[in-house]
Amino acid sequence: MQFHPKRASAGCVIVTATCLFAGLPAQAAEHVLAQKGKAFSVKKLQVKVGDTVKFVNEDPFAHNVFSLSDAKSFDLGSFGQGGSKTITFDKPGTIEVECAVHPDMRMVIEVGK
Amino acid sequence: MRPHDSRALWIGVLILACLLSWVGSAQADPLPRDSREAAVFRGGLVFANYCVTCHGINADGNGRAARLYEPRPANLRITDKNDAYLGLIVKLGGQAMGRSPFMPPWGAELTEEQMRDIVAYVRSLNLRADATP
Repeated sequence: MQFHPKRASAGCVIVTATCLFAGLPAQAAEHVLAQKGKAFSVKKLQVKVGDTVKFVNEDPFAHNVFSLSDAKSFDLGSFGQGGSKTITFDKPGTIEVECAVHPDMRMVIEVGK
Repeated sequence: MRPHDSRALWIGVLILACLLSWVGSAQADPLPRDSREAAVFRGGLVFANYCVTCHGINADGNGRAARLYEPRPANLRITDKNDAYLGLIVKLGGQAMGRSPFMPPWGAELTEEQMRDIVAYVRSLNLRADATP
């Protein structure tokens, strides 16, 4: 069997890169949720810590996104048709999301580790 | 009790009060639709559904979401704004009026009558002797 220095170098690079990236956490994901027909497009969403959720208003009137949950309290404000707001979830927990303009609009985001 | 339950409870109490009042005065003339009393009553129902989250059931700015905001939601019981200005804030939202951007614009959600009724309700709660309608 012959030794090929170039092939051996390439193999080392691949192995090294694999080892390096295997130690990194999974890349954060972006989840897109629509607000349409005075409802969130899903009632429940599971995400991981570090993930972002983008709320897109597909109705011809203003919506809002806020939460009073202990795991994350926020208000993204009001935004009109075609507008969007994004938020990152930095710790695990259950977040009840509401729209201040439409009190019946609610959904839950479960943030896991 | 969950916050949503609290809102539903208040709406239920208002509706019950309405029914009891109606039963008690079944023989009396109904309120004219365009009377101030009718507007205040209707405005209370709209307020209980849309405004209490921030302004609170007592309209004093202490709703369950008030802690999210700086500046805090307005204490409407002591507002010095007149009806026209209040109506514009309700319709256009806080940002358009140079106030808190967290006050949503309600013009696309509520009817003109509902917005007038909210103003009438807020006016009925006002404790300021010097407030100008």
